[in-house]
Amino acid sequence: MAEALAQALINGVIAGTILAVPALGFTAIFAVLNYPNFAIGALATVGAYAGWVGNTAFGLPMAAALPVAFLAAALAGLAVQWMAVKPLEAAGALMMAIASLAAGLVLENMLRFGFGNELRGFDLPLLRDWRFGAFRVGPQQVENFVLALACMALLWAFLRFSRTGRAMRAVADNRDLALLRGVDPVRVAAVTVAVGAGLAGMGGMLVGLDTSVDPLVGTRLVLSIFAAAVLGGLGSIPGAVAGAIAIGVAEEVAVLAFNPAYRLVVGFVAILAVLTLRPSGLFGARAG
Amino acid sequence: MTALAVDALSGGYAAADHVVKGVSLAVAPGELLCVIGPNGAGKSTVLKLLTGLLRPRAGRVALDGRDVTGLSPRRMIEAGLVLVPQERNVFGTLTVEENLAMGCFLDPRRARARMAAVTERFPLLAERRRQAARTLSGGQRQILAMGQALMSEPRVLLLDEPTAGLSPKAADDLFALVRATAESGVAVLMVEQNALQAMQVSDRALVLVDGRNAHEGPAPALARDPEIRRLFLGGRGAGRMDASGTGRETQR
Ligand SMILES: Nc1ncnc2c1ncn2[C@@H]1O[C@H](COP(=O)(O)OP(=O)(O)OP(=O)(O)O)[C@@H](O)[C@H]1O
Ligand SMILES: [Mg+2]
Repeated sequence: MAEALAQALINGVIAGTILAVPALGFTAIFAVLNYPNFAIGALATVGAYAGWVGNTAFGLPMAAALPVAFLAAALAGLAVQWMAVKPLEAAGALMMAIASLAAGLVLENMLRFGFGNELRGFDLPLLRDWRFGAFRVGPQQVENFVLALACMALLWAFLRFSRTGRAMRAVADNRDLALLRGVDPVRVAAVTVAVGAGLAGMGGMLVGLDTSVDPLVGTRLVLSIFAAAVLGGLGSIPGAVAGAIAIGVAEEVAVLAFNPAYRLVVGFVAILAVLTLRPSGLFGARAG
Repeated sequence: MTALAVDALSGGYAAADHVVKGVSLAVAPGELLCVIGPNGAGKSTVLKLLTGLLRPRAGRVALDGRDVTGLSPRRMIEAGLVLVPQERNVFGTLTVEENLAMGCFLDPRRARARMAAVTERFPLLAERRRQAARTLSGGQRQILAMGQALMSEPRVLLLDEPTAGLSPKAADDLFALVRATAESGVAVLMVEQNALQAMQVSDRALVLVDGRNAHEGPAPALARDPEIRRLFLGGRGAGRMDASGTGRETQR
């Protein structure tokens, strides 16, 4: 039992690290635009298909297919923002959230129309799992883990060192003051949507690599993404990472302790617990 | 030549469009003008109209003789006018250094040189450069806010209640920095609640009541004017003005 638990922890940390990529996209959009973008799941699916096409049709290795996933999802994210969300900006965050949810459904069905309902697999070499004593990890799992870490490192460097990244953090922190210092909030919002959706796309591709790609691959993640972001404190970058790892581990443990159907319950329980006990999330106020 | 000249400015908010009803003022380079008046007189609104956060309904704003009425915040920065707003005037989650860099956002190539100049004037900011702004004390935060505004080397600096919520000692120190900034050649317009103290460091003072000029003159003379004293300075030793007499809560 202890070994099974330890194995679940390993799997959970890896799954959580991958989940952190779209959760970061979700929380970044929330921090700058102040609404939860529920198209994030469909955007993850867009990225999963884009990466799959890049890999299977053009023979791209994973590290090269990821930027394709980023780009496709970023463009789709901007389209969702301009066509569905922006026209409802004046109506408030709730209407924007609903608009994004609807746009996500449209996107999902466009993908279904184009690619069908079949499960699509990446072109992956079949490799034997690595064994460490009683534990097993798949080399592909490790590659996905490393790719997820690389995505996060790039995001961190962008936010920390680029002028645009700093402007994004400034708008998230204090929009009025950013305006007074000459930042163009419309441009920053567009960059944030593109980056946030792009992260979702890369996350979707990483999940697709781990399992397979179908029109619901991203939609199945929405609850976990939302729970991770809420757990870490909506709008907090480090919070999204911590929240995602916590959710990833809890989901694996729930599957082990109960049965696979309970995976879904974890997200709901986490959201409920945070909202009743500590609405600002584990990390309190939003942070850069 | 005046650095900032404002003539019969009026405007307000979508919900309340007659807040400022004709304000005129002028500030010369190197001069410190303090603007005082009761809560709700429209002092902050005047500053928002000047920076382009709000669009004036009527009146004229000129910088160094050039008409800049109704320009966007970005154009106003480029024209040399910068505001330190009343509340939330630093980026709490950014470091001190990043806050300063944001002050030079439109001209990043000058950031290094300006950072050196600003941290030389405010050495405290150099010591704390890697610290998140939210960890600073109230007084330090106001200094950072002023340093950030000076990063773009403005010719006109607008300050909205820079000593709100500060201890008397921190307020004194800050007034000295404001005075020194003006003496370095910047035209400074400072809105203040600590009316008596503000008038003591200022060259001239303007009293705003209900969105209009009510009194103005050389600050020391105005501070001695019995009517002004009765209106705004009476009673409370600290010289806080408050038409309701209930005292003003300090911020944060
Ligand atoms: N965002 C806003 N929308 C509508 N009305 C506003 C807004 N901000 C301020 N007002 C109103 O405009 C008037 C002037 O407010 P303003 O903030 O300019 O006063 P002030 O002189 O700066 O006061 P204080 O000393 O309290 O800072 C007040 O009646 C206020 O209620
Ligand atoms: Mg005010």
